[in-house]
Amino acid sequence: MVALGEGAISQLRRGVLEFCVLALLRDEERYGFEIVRTLTEIDGMVTTEGTLYPLLGRLRRDGAVETTWRESPAGPPRRYYRLTPAGDAALVAFSHEWGRFRDAVDTLLERGAVR
Amino acid sequence: MTTGTMHPLVRDYLDRLRRAGRRLPDRQRTELVAEIEAHLEEAVPPGASDAEVLTALDRLGEPEDIVAAEQPSAPVDDARGAHEWAAIFLLLFGGFLAGVGWLVGLILLCSSRAWTTTDKLLGALVVPGGLALPFVLFAIAGTASGERCVSVNNGPEQCTGPGAGSGVQLLAVALIVVLTVAPIATAVHLARRAR
Repeated sequence: MVALGEGAISQLRRGVLEFCVLALLRDEERYGFEIVRTLTEIDGMVTTEGTLYPLLGRLRRDGAVETTWRESPAGPPRRYYRLTPAGDAALVAFSHEWGRFRDAVDTLLERGAVR
Repeated sequence: MTTGTMHPLVRDYLDRLRRAGRRLPDRQRTELVAEIEAHLEEAVPPGASDAEVLTALDRLGEPEDIVAAEQPSAPVDDARGAHEWAAIFLLLFGGFLAGVGWLVGLILLCSSRAWTTTDKLLGALVVPGGLALPFVLFAIAGTASGERCVSVNNGPEQCTGPGAGSGVQLLAVALIVVLTVAPIATAVHLARRAR
Protein backbone atom coordinates (compact mmCIF):
# COMPACT_ATOMS: atom_id res chain seq x y z
CA MET A 1 0.00 0.00 0.00
CA VAL A 2 1.24 3.47 -0.85
CA ALA A 3 1.62 5.68 2.18
CA LEU A 4 0.25 9.16 1.64
CA GLY A 5 2.81 10.78 3.87
CA GLU A 6 3.60 14.41 4.46
CA GLY A 7 6.24 14.03 1.76
CA ALA A 8 3.79 13.29 -1.04
CA ILE A 9 1.45 16.12 -0.13
CA SER A 10 4.18 18.69 0.36
CA GLN A 11 5.75 17.67 -2.95
CA LEU A 12 2.44 18.16 -4.70
CA ARG A 13 1.93 21.49 -2.97
CA ARG A 14 5.43 22.67 -3.80
CA GLY A 15 4.92 21.95 -7.49
CA VAL A 16 1.71 23.94 -7.67
CA LEU A 17 2.55 26.75 -5.27
CA GLU A 18 4.56 28.91 -7.64
CA PHE A 19 1.59 29.10 -9.99
CA CYS A 20 -0.64 30.12 -7.09
CA VAL A 21 1.78 32.99 -6.47
CA LEU A 22 1.62 33.95 -10.15
CA ALA A 23 -2.18 33.77 -10.02
CA LEU A 24 -2.22 36.16 -7.04
CA LEU A 25 -0.25 38.64 -9.12
CA ARG A 26 -2.35 38.31 -12.28
CA ASP A 27 -4.39 41.45 -11.75
CA GLU A 28 -2.33 43.54 -9.38
CA GLU A 29 1.13 43.94 -7.96
CA ARG A 30 1.60 43.00 -4.31
CA TYR A 31 4.41 43.23 -1.79
CA GLY A 32 6.10 40.19 -0.24
CA PHE A 33 4.39 40.21 3.12
CA GLU A 34 0.99 40.62 1.47
CA ILE A 35 1.58 37.66 -0.86
CA VAL A 36 2.79 35.47 1.99
CA ARG A 37 -0.08 36.36 4.35
CA THR A 38 -2.71 35.91 1.65
CA LEU A 39 -1.43 32.44 0.79
CA THR A 40 -1.10 31.26 4.37
CA GLU A 41 -4.61 32.39 5.18
CA ILE A 42 -6.04 30.01 2.56
CA ASP A 43 -6.54 26.71 4.37
CA GLY A 44 -4.27 23.87 3.25
CA MET A 45 -2.08 25.99 1.00
CA VAL A 46 1.10 26.76 2.91
CA THR A 47 2.35 25.57 6.28
CA THR A 48 5.29 27.89 6.90
CA GLU A 49 5.54 31.47 5.67
CA GLY A 50 9.31 31.64 5.48
CA THR A 51 9.73 29.08 2.71
CA LEU A 52 7.71 31.31 0.35
CA TYR A 53 10.52 33.87 0.15
CA PRO A 54 12.94 31.48 -1.55
CA LEU A 55 10.13 30.71 -4.00
CA LEU A 56 9.63 34.42 -4.73
CA GLY A 57 13.36 34.78 -5.27
CA ARG A 58 13.37 31.88 -7.70
CA LEU A 59 10.45 33.34 -9.69
CA ARG A 60 12.35 36.61 -9.90
CA ARG A 61 15.55 34.92 -11.09
CA ASP A 62 13.55 32.94 -13.64
CA GLY A 63 12.05 36.15 -14.97
CA ALA A 64 8.43 35.25 -14.16
CA VAL A 65 8.07 38.28 -11.89
CA GLU A 66 9.85 41.61 -11.53
CA THR A 67 10.11 43.77 -8.45
CA THR A 68 10.21 47.41 -7.42
CA TRP A 69 10.94 48.87 -4.01
CA ARG A 70 8.41 51.43 -2.86
CA GLU A 71 8.00 53.53 0.22
CA SER A 72 5.23 52.32 2.49
CA PRO A 73 2.80 54.68 4.22
CA ALA A 74 4.36 53.66 7.53
CA GLY A 75 7.43 51.60 8.21
CA PRO A 76 10.22 50.29 5.97
CA PRO A 77 10.11 50.29 2.12
CA ARG A 78 8.30 47.36 0.52
CA ARG A 79 9.33 45.20 -2.38
CA TYR A 80 6.45 44.93 -4.83
CA TYR A 81 6.14 41.93 -7.16
CA ARG A 82 4.60 42.16 -10.62
CA LEU A 83 3.97 39.53 -13.29
CA THR A 84 6.17 39.71 -16.42
CA PRO A 85 4.85 38.68 -19.86
CA ALA A 86 6.79 35.42 -19.43
CA GLY A 87 5.19 34.83 -16.04
CA ASP A 88 1.79 35.57 -17.49
CA ALA A 89 2.35 33.06 -20.31
CA ALA A 90 3.48 30.42 -17.78
CA LEU A 91 0.34 31.03 -15.75
CA VAL A 92 -1.95 30.68 -18.77
CA ALA A 93 -0.24 27.43 -19.79
CA PHE A 94 -0.46 26.07 -16.26
CA SER A 95 -4.15 26.98 -15.89
CA HIS A 96 -4.90 24.99 -19.01
CA GLU A 97 -2.87 21.95 -17.95
CA TRP A 98 -4.18 22.09 -14.41
CA GLY A 99 -7.76 21.98 -15.64
CA ARG A 100 -7.07 18.81 -17.63
CA PHE A 101 -5.09 17.24 -14.83
CA ARG A 102 -7.72 17.99 -12.19
CA ASP A 103 -10.51 16.61 -14.38
CA ALA A 104 -8.52 13.47 -15.08
CA VAL A 105 -7.80 12.86 -11.39
CA ASP A 106 -11.39 13.62 -10.42
CA THR A 107 -12.69 11.19 -13.03
CA LEU A 108 -10.48 8.42 -11.70
CA LEU A 109 -11.31 9.14 -8.06
CA GLU A 110 -15.04 9.24 -8.72
CA ARG A 111 -15.06 6.13 -10.87
CA GLY A 112 -13.30 4.36 -8.04
CA ALA A 113 -15.95 5.57 -5.60
CA VAL A 114 -18.86 4.30 -7.77
CA ARG A 115 -17.63 0.72 -7.77
CA MET B 1 16.24 48.34 9.68
CA THR B 2 17.45 50.00 12.84
CA THR B 3 19.07 47.25 14.81
CA GLY B 4 18.69 49.19 18.02
CA THR B 5 14.92 48.87 18.11
CA MET B 6 14.90 45.25 16.96
CA HIS B 7 13.35 42.76 19.34
CA PRO B 8 16.08 40.46 20.74
CA LEU B 9 14.17 37.36 19.61
CA VAL B 10 13.98 38.75 16.09
CA ARG B 11 17.70 39.52 16.14
CA ASP B 12 18.49 35.96 17.28
CA TYR B 13 16.26 34.55 14.57
CA LEU B 14 17.97 36.61 11.85
CA ASP B 15 21.39 35.55 13.18
CA ARG B 16 20.31 31.91 12.91
CA LEU B 17 19.10 32.55 9.38
CA ARG B 18 22.44 34.12 8.40
CA ARG B 19 24.32 31.17 9.88
CA ALA B 20 22.08 28.63 8.18
CA GLY B 21 22.42 30.51 4.91
CA ARG B 22 26.19 30.86 4.83
CA ARG B 23 26.46 28.23 2.09
CA LEU B 24 24.21 30.20 -0.21
CA PRO B 25 25.78 32.57 -2.73
CA ASP B 26 26.36 35.92 -1.00
CA ARG B 27 23.76 37.84 -3.00
CA GLN B 28 21.09 35.20 -2.52
CA ARG B 29 21.68 35.12 1.25
CA THR B 30 21.62 38.93 1.56
CA GLU B 31 18.35 39.11 -0.36
CA LEU B 32 16.76 36.33 1.64
CA VAL B 33 17.72 37.90 4.96
CA ALA B 34 16.46 41.32 3.77
CA GLU B 35 13.09 39.81 2.78
CA ILE B 36 12.66 37.97 6.06
CA GLU B 37 13.71 41.08 7.98
CA ALA B 38 11.14 43.17 6.10
CA HIS B 39 8.53 40.47 6.75
CA LEU B 40 9.21 40.58 10.48
CA GLU B 41 9.00 44.36 10.53
CA GLU B 42 5.49 44.05 9.07
CA ALA B 43 4.47 41.09 11.21
CA VAL B 44 5.83 42.34 14.53
CA PRO B 45 4.42 45.72 15.55
CA PRO B 46 6.73 48.00 17.54
CA GLY B 47 6.59 47.17 21.23
CA ALA B 48 5.18 43.68 20.57
CA SER B 49 5.18 41.21 23.45
CA ASP B 50 7.45 38.16 23.46
CA ALA B 51 4.41 35.98 22.79
CA GLU B 52 3.48 37.98 19.70
CA VAL B 53 7.06 37.79 18.41
CA LEU B 54 7.21 34.03 19.01
CA THR B 55 3.94 33.54 17.12
CA ALA B 56 5.29 35.49 14.15
CA LEU B 57 8.51 33.44 14.21
CA ASP B 58 6.56 30.18 14.45
CA ARG B 59 4.59 31.11 11.38
CA LEU B 60 7.80 31.81 9.49
CA GLY B 61 9.22 28.37 10.32
CA GLU B 62 12.77 27.24 11.11
CA PRO B 63 15.58 29.26 9.47
CA GLU B 64 17.17 25.98 8.36
CA ASP B 65 13.97 25.01 6.49
CA ILE B 66 13.86 28.39 4.76
CA VAL B 67 17.45 27.98 3.59
CA ALA B 68 16.71 24.41 2.49
CA ALA B 69 13.92 25.80 0.30
CA GLU B 70 16.56 27.94 -1.46
CA GLN B 71 18.44 24.84 -2.57
CA PRO B 72 15.93 22.31 -3.90
CA SER B 73 18.69 20.07 -5.29
CA ALA B 74 20.19 18.69 -2.11
CA PRO B 75 21.80 15.50 -3.57
CA VAL B 76 24.78 17.59 -4.77
CA ASP B 77 25.87 17.69 -1.13
CA ASP B 78 27.64 14.32 -1.23
CA ALA B 79 29.94 15.25 -4.10
CA ARG B 80 30.68 18.47 -2.31
CA GLY B 81 31.51 16.64 0.89
CA ALA B 82 34.27 14.64 -0.81
CA HIS B 83 35.76 17.81 -2.27
CA GLU B 84 35.83 19.49 1.14
CA TRP B 85 37.24 16.49 3.00
CA ALA B 86 40.02 16.16 0.44
CA ALA B 87 40.84 19.85 0.90
CA ILE B 88 41.04 19.51 4.69
CA PHE B 89 43.11 16.32 4.52
CA LEU B 90 45.60 17.80 2.04
CA LEU B 91 45.92 21.07 3.97
CA LEU B 92 46.86 19.02 7.03
CA PHE B 93 49.02 16.25 5.59
CA GLY B 94 49.65 17.34 1.99
CA GLY B 95 52.89 19.04 3.02
CA PHE B 96 54.48 15.62 3.47
CA LEU B 97 53.94 14.89 -0.23
CA ALA B 98 56.89 17.08 -1.26
CA GLY B 99 54.77 20.12 -0.39
CA VAL B 100 52.72 19.71 -3.57
CA GLY B 101 49.87 18.02 -1.71
CA TRP B 102 49.37 21.12 0.39
CA LEU B 103 49.12 23.28 -2.74
CA VAL B 104 46.48 20.93 -4.16
CA GLY B 105 44.61 21.25 -0.86
CA LEU B 106 44.83 25.02 -1.18
CA ILE B 107 43.33 24.91 -4.68
CA LEU B 108 40.51 22.64 -3.46
CA LEU B 109 39.89 25.00 -0.53
CA CYS B 110 39.64 28.06 -2.77
CA SER B 111 37.47 26.39 -5.42
CA SER B 112 34.95 25.08 -2.88
CA ARG B 113 31.70 26.95 -2.35
CA ALA B 114 31.20 25.53 1.13
CA TRP B 115 33.38 28.15 2.79
CA THR B 116 33.31 31.90 3.11
CA THR B 117 36.25 34.06 2.06
CA THR B 118 37.27 34.45 5.71
CA ASP B 119 37.34 30.68 6.19
CA LYS B 120 39.44 30.30 3.05
CA LEU B 121 41.94 32.90 4.20
CA LEU B 122 42.17 31.20 7.57
CA GLY B 123 42.72 27.82 5.92
CA ALA B 124 45.41 29.26 3.65
CA LEU B 125 47.33 31.19 6.30
CA VAL B 126 47.12 28.89 9.34
CA VAL B 127 49.57 27.27 8.77
CA PRO B 128 51.13 27.07 5.28
CA GLY B 129 52.41 23.54 4.81
CA GLY B 130 50.12 22.11 7.46
CA LEU B 131 51.62 19.58 9.83
CA ALA B 132 54.71 19.16 7.64
CA LEU B 133 56.11 22.48 8.85
CA PRO B 134 56.32 21.68 12.60
CA PHE B 135 57.54 18.19 11.66
CA VAL B 136 60.43 19.60 9.66
CA LEU B 137 61.20 22.11 12.42
CA PHE B 138 61.20 19.31 14.96
CA ALA B 139 63.63 17.33 12.87
CA ILE B 140 65.95 20.33 12.50
CA ALA B 141 65.75 21.14 16.20
CA GLY B 142 66.50 17.50 17.02
CA THR B 143 69.76 17.44 15.06
CA ALA B 144 70.80 20.97 15.96
CA SER B 145 70.47 20.58 19.70
CA GLY B 146 72.46 17.37 19.67
CA GLU B 147 73.68 17.83 23.20
CA ARG B 148 76.73 15.78 24.00
CA CYS B 149 77.79 15.09 27.54
CA VAL B 150 81.21 13.69 28.08
CA SER B 151 82.71 12.54 31.27
CA VAL B 152 86.44 13.23 31.30
CA ASN B 153 88.54 11.06 33.62
CA ASN B 154 85.58 10.16 35.81
CA GLY B 155 85.20 13.85 36.56
CA PRO B 156 81.91 15.77 36.46
CA GLU B 157 80.04 15.55 33.18
CA GLN B 158 80.75 18.26 30.69
CA CYS B 159 77.90 19.18 28.42
CA THR B 160 78.43 20.96 25.14
CA GLY B 161 76.17 22.22 22.41
CA PRO B 162 73.38 24.76 22.07
CA GLY B 163 71.34 22.84 24.66
CA ALA B 164 72.90 25.15 27.18
CA GLY B 165 70.42 27.84 26.30
CA SER B 166 67.41 26.01 27.75
CA GLY B 167 65.26 29.13 27.31
CA VAL B 168 65.77 29.01 23.57
CA GLN B 169 64.96 25.32 23.57
CA LEU B 170 61.74 25.91 25.49
CA LEU B 171 60.78 28.55 22.96
CA ALA B 172 61.43 26.15 20.11
CA VAL B 173 59.24 23.49 21.72
CA ALA B 174 56.47 26.02 22.29
CA LEU B 175 56.72 27.11 18.66
CA ILE B 176 56.48 23.54 17.44
CA VAL B 177 53.46 22.88 19.69
CA VAL B 178 51.71 26.00 18.42
CA LEU B 179 52.50 25.10 14.80
CA THR B 180 51.07 21.63 15.40
CA VAL B 181 47.92 22.70 17.22
CA ALA B 182 47.07 25.62 14.90
CA PRO B 183 46.61 23.58 11.68
CA ILE B 184 44.61 20.93 13.56
CA ALA B 185 42.37 23.58 15.09
CA THR B 186 41.95 25.19 11.66
CA ALA B 187 41.08 21.82 10.11
CA VAL B 188 38.44 21.22 12.80
CA HIS B 189 37.06 24.71 12.21
CA LEU B 190 36.89 24.16 8.44
CA ALA B 191 35.21 20.77 8.90
CA ARG B 192 32.54 22.35 11.10
CA ARG B 193 31.95 25.35 8.87
CA ALA B 194 31.57 23.25 5.73
CA ARG B 195 28.61 21.29 7.09
